[in-house]
Amino acid sequence: MLLQQILNGLTAGSVYALIALGYTMIYGILGLINFAQGELYMAGAFATVLLLSIYQVNFFVAFLFGMGVAAVLGVILERLAFRPLRGSHPLVPLISAIGASIFLQSLALLLFGPADRSFPIQFEFAALEIAGVSVSALQVAIFGTALFFMALLVAFVKYTKFGKAIMATALDQDTARLMGINVDRMIALTFFIGSALSGAAGIMMAIYYNATYPRMGLLPGLKAFSAAVLGGVGNIPGAIVGGLLLGVAENLGAGYLSSGYKDAVAFAILIIVLLVRPKGLLGGRSH
Amino acid sequence: MTEYLLHITIISGLYIILTLSLNLIIGYCGQVSLGHAAFYGLGAYTSALLTIHWQVPFFLALPTAAVIAALFGLGLGIPTLRLKDDYLAIVTLGFGVIVDLILLNLELTGGPDGLARIPPPRLAGIDFRNKVYYLLLVAAVVAFTLGLIYRLVHSCHGRALKAIRDHEITARVMGINASAYKISIFTLAAGLAGLAGSLYAHYITFINPESFGLHTSILVLTMVVLGGMGSILGSVVGAGVLTILPELFRRFADYQDVAYGAMLIALLIWRPQGLLGSGKISQKFSLSKNRAKKER
Repeated sequence: MLLQQILNGLTAGSVYALIALGYTMIYGILGLINFAQGELYMAGAFATVLLLSIYQVNFFVAFLFGMGVAAVLGVILERLAFRPLRGSHPLVPLISAIGASIFLQSLALLLFGPADRSFPIQFEFAALEIAGVSVSALQVAIFGTALFFMALLVAFVKYTKFGKAIMATALDQDTARLMGINVDRMIALTFFIGSALSGAAGIMMAIYYNATYPRMGLLPGLKAFSAAVLGGVGNIPGAIVGGLLLGVAENLGAGYLSSGYKDAVAFAILIIVLLVRPKGLLGGRSH
Repeated sequence: MTEYLLHITIISGLYIILTLSLNLIIGYCGQVSLGHAAFYGLGAYTSALLTIHWQVPFFLALPTAAVIAALFGLGLGIPTLRLKDDYLAIVTLGFGVIVDLILLNLELTGGPDGLARIPPPRLAGIDFRNKVYYLLLVAAVVAFTLGLIYRLVHSCHGRALKAIRDHEITARVMGINASAYKISIFTLAAGLAGLAGSLYAHYITFINPESFGLHTSILVLTMVVLGGMGSILGSVVGAGVLTILPELFRRFADYQDVAYGAMLIALLIWRPQGLLGSGKISQKFSLSKNRAKKER
């Protein structure tokens, strides 16, 4: 029972971690909470589901397409809603992000209707036995995919020129610009990567819960933000640890306390972290 | 027709109170609350429960509703407003979701069906079911709110708040306790929203969680931005315009939220001071973005 809850928690947590990475990277580089992150998650899921239900394409093609749509949408968002506001009072881009979030959410509601859409492809996943606990192969696949993306991101930031440029921009924009880094392009790239990861998270959750709907991004977005705060905002390993911990805590809370208030766990954790250790478990960037 | 006009005026009055209180948080603390509708709802439910279950007279339930909402504001403000970052927005968003969950799950609040047959106020033989009297009541509360906020903003505390909003570090150096100010303003704003909630509950006499969700919080936020962040008169105009416009464009009700979202972004880009704002908040810092970020 306990192990079962922990494994369920790790599955959900790995998805939260993917979204939290987007929050953390964008926060690190712009000092902005991108409220629309949950909507990019939704957009990724919708793009994949729609493509799969209209054309008979390969699942992996559709997956990449969904990530691509989310990424491009993220870049467009940055260009239209955030770039013109750079340098203004921090409140202003925050409200703009809220506007973008509500715009995308209600646009999806208008275009696709409020009903749940099931995932067009049925997967046959065997139930595995691991240490006496039954785990569906789907959970293992989600967890594995999420870990793969996280590893990819960490490697990208650490070992590539672009990744280093992003880090430099997050540390000090003016100096980065002096070193010949195109700051605008790095910010756009950050949005591209963060949004693609959120899109991937959305697609995986659309398969896991077999439901895609316009408001699907609201709660995961909120929880992922809590995860980012838990690990330390602006800290990439922190987002991963925070996401996994939050997923486990949430499932334990639902299993042992009350399932009706499952969604409240993340929020309670957020408040406690802000009270006790506002810079998060692994320490956020100096803000 | 007169009834209808009275109804619209009363509803605008309620939104004016909400908008003014949210504008205090935005325009004078430099923070965003996305859970304002939750405080509004807490006020409505407190007042409704008190009058239905314990036969508390309305004029006692009204201030109680404000106090309860304010207490929740205080509880939420203490952990979040001590910190520099804009956590308040996301914490209040979460708070809104939780309040919604609780209202939906609790037996006391009637779950999704909400509460019905909330008694309309009664005082010295005046029957407030007559919309004219109710409008007068709402107008009195609006006047109280306006007076309170006007006095506050133009007192030394108001100047302290402006200093905090414009440059927190300088304000702190001047000996202003920035977090105490922010927490008190947030508490006050939550209380005012509770006041509006109580007025709403006893006017409509039927409430359910639907009226107090994210949609309402966003609507009030749009009213603040449209009227002008930090402008008192702007809040009145913003609330009025956005209550009346949807009535005129009933046929496009489905497009409301899309329009609000687009309007928020468009306003911030092209007219950040709103209709009547002075543009203090919307001024771009002369410093480079990085410096501004560090100094927050």
